[in-house]
Amino acid sequence: MATVMKTTREVKGVGLAIPRPDGPEKVTGGTEYVADLKPKGMLHAKLLRSPHAHARIKRIDTSKAKALPGVRAVLTAKDIPTLKRKAPTRAHAVLAIDRVVFVGQPVAAVAADEPAIAEEALDLIAVEYEVLPAAVDPLASMQPGAPPVAEAGTEADTSEALAHSGVAAAKSEAGPPRAVNISQQVKLQRGDVAKAFGESDVVIEKTYRVPMVHQGYLEPHAVLAQWDTNGLLTLWASTQGSFNTRSEVADILGLEENQVRVIPVECGGGFGGKIRALCEPITAALAKATGRPVRYVMTRREELEAGNPAPQVIIKLKTGVKRDGTLMALDADTIVESGAFSGAVLTMSAVFLASVYKWPNFEVRGFEVLTHKPSIAAYRAPTAPHTFFAVDSQMELLARELGVDAVEFRLRHLIVEGDAMANGQKWQSNGAKEVLRRIAEHPLWRNRAAWSAQSGKDGHGLCGTGLALGGWIPGLQPTGATVRLNPDGSLSVLTGQVDIAGTNIALAQIAATAYGLDIDKIRITTGDTDVAPMTGLSAGSKTIYTVGTAVLEAAKDARKQTLEIAAKEMEAAVEDLEIEDGRVVVRGVPDKGVTLASIGKKGNLYMSKVPPVLGVSHPAFAVQAPAFAAELARIEVDPDTGQTTIHDFVVVQDAGKAINPLGVEGQMQGGAVQSIGIALTEAMMYDKDGRLMNPSLLDYRKLTAADLPNIETIIVEVPAPAGPFGARGVGEPPIVPAPAALANAVHDATGVRLTELPLSPERIALAIAARQ
Amino acid sequence: MAKLALACTVNDEPVEVLVRPYDTLLDALREELRLTGPKEGCGTGDCGACTVHVDGKPVASCLMLAMQARGRAVLTIEGLANSGALHPLQDAFVRLGVPQCGFCIPGVLMAAVAVLAEHPRPTDEQIRYGIAGNLCRCTGYTKMITAIAEAAAAAPAGRA
Repeated sequence: MATVMKTTREVKGVGLAIPRPDGPEKVTGGTEYVADLKPKGMLHAKLLRSPHAHARIKRIDTSKAKALPGVRAVLTAKDIPTLKRKAPTRAHAVLAIDRVVFVGQPVAAVAADEPAIAEEALDLIAVEYEVLPAAVDPLASMQPGAPPVAEAGTEADTSEALAHSGVAAAKSEAGPPRAVNISQQVKLQRGDVAKAFGESDVVIEKTYRVPMVHQGYLEPHAVLAQWDTNGLLTLWASTQGSFNTRSEVADILGLEENQVRVIPVECGGGFGGKIRALCEPITAALAKATGRPVRYVMTRREELEAGNPAPQVIIKLKTGVKRDGTLMALDADTIVESGAFSGAVLTMSAVFLASVYKWPNFEVRGFEVLTHKPSIAAYRAPTAPHTFFAVDSQMELLARELGVDAVEFRLRHLIVEGDAMANGQKWQSNGAKEVLRRIAEHPLWRNRAAWSAQSGKDGHGLCGTGLALGGWIPGLQPTGATVRLNPDGSLSVLTGQVDIAGTNIALAQIAATAYGLDIDKIRITTGDTDVAPMTGLSAGSKTIYTVGTAVLEAAKDARKQTLEIAAKEMEAAVEDLEIEDGRVVVRGVPDKGVTLASIGKKGNLYMSKVPPVLGVSHPAFAVQAPAFAAELARIEVDPDTGQTTIHDFVVVQDAGKAINPLGVEGQMQGGAVQSIGIALTEAMMYDKDGRLMNPSLLDYRKLTAADLPNIETIIVEVPAPAGPFGARGVGEPPIVPAPAALANAVHDATGVRLTELPLSPERIALAIAARQ
Repeated sequence: MAKLALACTVNDEPVEVLVRPYDTLLDALREELRLTGPKEGCGTGDCGACTVHVDGKPVASCLMLAMQARGRAVLTIEGLANSGALHPLQDAFVRLGVPQCGFCIPGVLMAAVAVLAEHPRPTDEQIRYGIAGNLCRCTGYTKMITAIAEAAAAAPAGRA
């Protein structure tokens, strides 16, 4: 599929660094998001949320709220007959039925004329709770006798894992859950671990912890819902996948998919947090109850307290090697805290632990654990930053202990194409080695000793350099696209792809090159679920790889149809024709030709015998393309305060083929900064009762421009055999390496090894003090 | 609660609008005047997405009551382009591919305009601190910083 179209002239398309066409609208404030929509008669929704992590609801009295002027509807669980006590997913738990399982869980919903009236109504709803013991710590929650989170008999939810990554859970061996709050288990093993540890010269055992963090999209969750008189529900949604939202909402409300239309409005950031339905079902229910359009926009506090953040992950990792550097054995537990509902991408963590480097003997046990906290969802490469933090910290420690070069040690043991991953799947070709080699050639790495020597001199603090590897195995999902020739000779590309990452311009570039027409003649549209071909989620680093393939094939189809029409007209053979400058010409005879516009016009004319050109493709996929990045940080640590300053930061990433280098750089820079945030500053902090202690953007510390240097990007291109023009996923890899890279840099600078994130000034200063 | 009449100028046009005493300037701009360029990312002044200028100074419009703008000059992102021509900062943001999801961009641009008004030839640090009140989750800020620096360098000397 990685065919390069033969054109006599280079078409402006794939490989050009061109800005997104939506730029002018975005810089002038013209782009509309859900919260900017305001149809006539619109009502505002607010939710009453649980103040307790775990409690029984004894009584709810909504009579006073209903009596408040301007209130149009007050709903509780009993008003939505399709709700199930054993909610299979968080999205199905629209309103709590008789038990709340996290602080912030919706209990009642109000629609009112004005937001302030809805707020006032919430205060008038009386709920009587019987507070129950809560399981807040995942390790305690795994023990027998912990307060149960799910209703007995609730099935594990692995749909997110399947949507996000192609790594099959089926290949892992799952045992029976051993405690009430363990909702998923996987076990991967190979060889004789005990024997191999016995033969190891160096054994290192560490426990790595990464707290819950929030995806941090600037636009809070929002939706506008309206029903028409035929019972058709329309949702204007901020979603990463309109078809997925349609299915979820239909299922939850007991509708057919064809009764729901999802119009994807510009998504103000998702990063995995806007895949699953969250506020759509309740807003639809309020719109139904009132017969009016209802808009619900979550507040930032609601986002932080009751969004769907990334899980806390605790990894116990023990590794043994021979003195000559031979890898011997790995033994690991990965504990993924899923909050109140199942849905973690557990398998990826377990598989990566034992797959990235070639361990001949390993045993990895993975546990998804429920706690009385908001349930989690994907966050850009879900569980990979956590897992590579453990894997690449440990590789660094082993290399140090053995006294060998840390990059060479990684390169020696990296899994290569054709090797079996820990779950038996065959490893596909990728650029992991190339990105490691390229970053090791960087002057910042080669000159790291000189930087370290600056420590304590000329007012410098402790100086260090660190690097790490990280990657992702992108997901696969069937998808579709059409390419239409217009009467003016331009092309219209239609998919249902929500453009959360600048993918539309890249898809248009693919169409340009595949068809043979310059990019400025191509317009791409994201259609809603009533008009677009079925299109997969914008998630899992798979948009360009899968939708790009559909666009490529649809454009080739349109090109073939165009040439066939022209061949008839010109009495020439299709093989002799070429598209050049908006005309179909006989190769080598540029004077003889017909314009694309004339072909496009004929397909539109009354009584015309020429069919309109419509290229169609709707592929499914089988082969994945792993995608890797390496990151390097040159840092300085203040030995007294523990404050880390990043002076330089480099991302080297394998894009397969950078369809639009400008967009790829943007992904690398944004992903790297999210990765640095996980490493240095971000943590959702809960008290012993399961209450979030930092539910504001003042206290939940995201990085600002003043915290960072410019992020240097180096794109490497190792073609993906089945990717369009060789492209592979680029969204996720750059969020993976920084935690390990920065832990390695802090170790290099200070001599202390930290295994718990974030690497806060307090942790670093205490570790330095403890060593002295 | 009775509404109050707010008279001020918005984007160089005199406006009169009825607001509730508790409405923020952001509420009045978005819900009453339908200027939805300024965004509410937090409502607590922490993210900068609602940044507008009042009498030439950048403010978090979610923290200011609408009535506090009485008699004052408000500039929103919608007023930045001059009769259809993009402001040099807007132009640089488009050319360098800064906007991704775009939600933070109106606020960042209003902050950037304020930076250049105060420091026509800003240092890297002045740019970074100048937009440190604006959170962006997509871009990692690098292209933003580059675009602001480029727009500043391209401006004629002495331009405020």
